[in-house]
Amino acid sequence: MALLEVRHLKKTFGDRAVLDGISFDLEEGGIKAIMGPSGCGKSTLLRCINRLIEPTSGSILFRGQEVTGRDTDVRALRQMIGFVFQNYALYRHLCVLDNVTVGPRKLKRMSRREAEGKALHELQRLNVADLRHSFPSQLSGGQKQRVAIARALAMDPAVLFFDEPTSALDPVMAREVAAVINQLHSENVTVLCVTHDFELARSVADRIIFLRDGRIRAEDTADNLRNHYDDHEIRTFFGPGAAPV
Amino acid sequence: MMGDLAVLQDVLVYWPEIARGLASTLMLSVIITLTGLIAGIAVFYLTLSSSDVCRRAVQGYISIFIGTPLIVFLFLLYYGLPQWGIKLTPLTVAVLGFTLNVAAYNARYMTTAYNGLDPSEIEAAKAQGFTSRQIFHLMTLPQVLRLSIPALTNQAIQNLKDTSLVFLIQYAEFFAQMQEVALRTFRFFDVYLLTGLVYFILVSVLTNLARRAEMFADLPPASRHNR
Ligand SMILES: Nc1ncnc2c1ncn2[C@@H]1O[C@H](COP(=O)(O)OP(=O)(O)OP(=O)(O)O)[C@@H](O)[C@H]1O
Ligand SMILES: [Mg+2]
Repeated sequence: MALLEVRHLKKTFGDRAVLDGISFDLEEGGIKAIMGPSGCGKSTLLRCINRLIEPTSGSILFRGQEVTGRDTDVRALRQMIGFVFQNYALYRHLCVLDNVTVGPRKLKRMSRREAEGKALHELQRLNVADLRHSFPSQLSGGQKQRVAIARALAMDPAVLFFDEPTSALDPVMAREVAAVINQLHSENVTVLCVTHDFELARSVADRIIFLRDGRIRAEDTADNLRNHYDDHEIRTFFGPGAAPV
Repeated sequence: MMGDLAVLQDVLVYWPEIARGLASTLMLSVIITLTGLIAGIAVFYLTLSSSDVCRRAVQGYISIFIGTPLIVFLFLLYYGLPQWGIKLTPLTVAVLGFTLNVAAYNARYMTTAYNGLDPSEIEAAKAQGFTSRQIFHLMTLPQVLRLSIPALTNQAIQNLKDTSLVFLIQYAEFFAQMQEVALRTFRFFDVYLLTGLVYFILVSVLTNLARRAEMFADLPPASRHNR
């Protein structure tokens, strides 16, 4: 069974359909990337799934459970979805360790010791454990992104959502984050990754979803999207010599 | 000037009253600074309410108290309410009036600080599954308080000076006692000069403490032990 099944998802702002009937699956342990031009609804899609934005209609099954209903425990749903933002969004008044422990302690009622053990484990996994007493303002972008990933992992989420995790990073750091995502994939973490970075998508994802004007225009491997489509929009977006977006 | 020591001698005869007045002033300042801070936090919390009605009511309250002189409200409570059969002691009126007034100012300072926060941290906290109340006390309030410390400590200093108003509602604080001493000794100039000096010393001490608090709150400095 798929971890996540999205069916006919719609979101309208005013009379504008930003998501216009989205359907896709995400398998347990799978990793998919979502690509598409700016403003096509990628962030809106991620935010609808964890109900930061209320979908207008359609259905989302999370481990077989409908989660768009009024009686859905939204906070429980969010705790199962680790969210990593483009601008890191670390809590700036907390040190690295506290950034990672605050969720487990306050949401999962872990003791401080237990939470710190868990946090150190995740920080080590991302190679930033020696920064645990630093504050976000003292970290580089790549370090912040690693801490943000550790913060998400410390909640033991069922899936990680990334919203353009490398857009604010230089190419070297972007490759590092790609390596981290690949490592997580090999450790069987399920991932849904929105990105403008074709190299990132190709290096981490089994399949890429191409979104345009609120609809899924194609879902395929990176190589197929690059070489085997006649569709004009797909060719201009992915085709050989396509301008990096 | 206070050239001759006779002034001090004349004045010091009244030291028990002066000391009592000073104690009243300090007590009132401490009380209203604390109640004003706590009430200010509560008011600030309500300004973030998801209910439109609540937000508008709270904004109305803040505008009214920032937009009218405190002395009018104090007189309303102290001299106005008895007409309706409600008699409050000077201390009650002072604490009530100042608390409502200071809370409005403090809430406004906190709102200013809040508008400078990064909304993506709040979104991240929501996405993690925190309730709005948890987000307020774990993320918003600590950051807002830290950013408002200069404004809040200035307000505390202002409170100390402003308590001199309450001699007008028969509250025997420091200024009221010095008034009394001036009348009895006929040394108006010297006594008021001494009064000013005492306020100045108290404010200086408080300012010093405030600057320390600001330095403490400035942690973590971006420059310290990088990496
Ligand atoms: N709260 C909102 N109210 C109205 N319109 C919105 C709102 N949020 C997003 N939109 C609109 O929905 C469209 C899709 O936005 P979204 O942020 O999902 O795009 P995106 O694909 O993530 O773009 P980018 O690649 O630039 O991040 C945009 O045109 C945006 O203006
Ligand atoms: Mg986006």
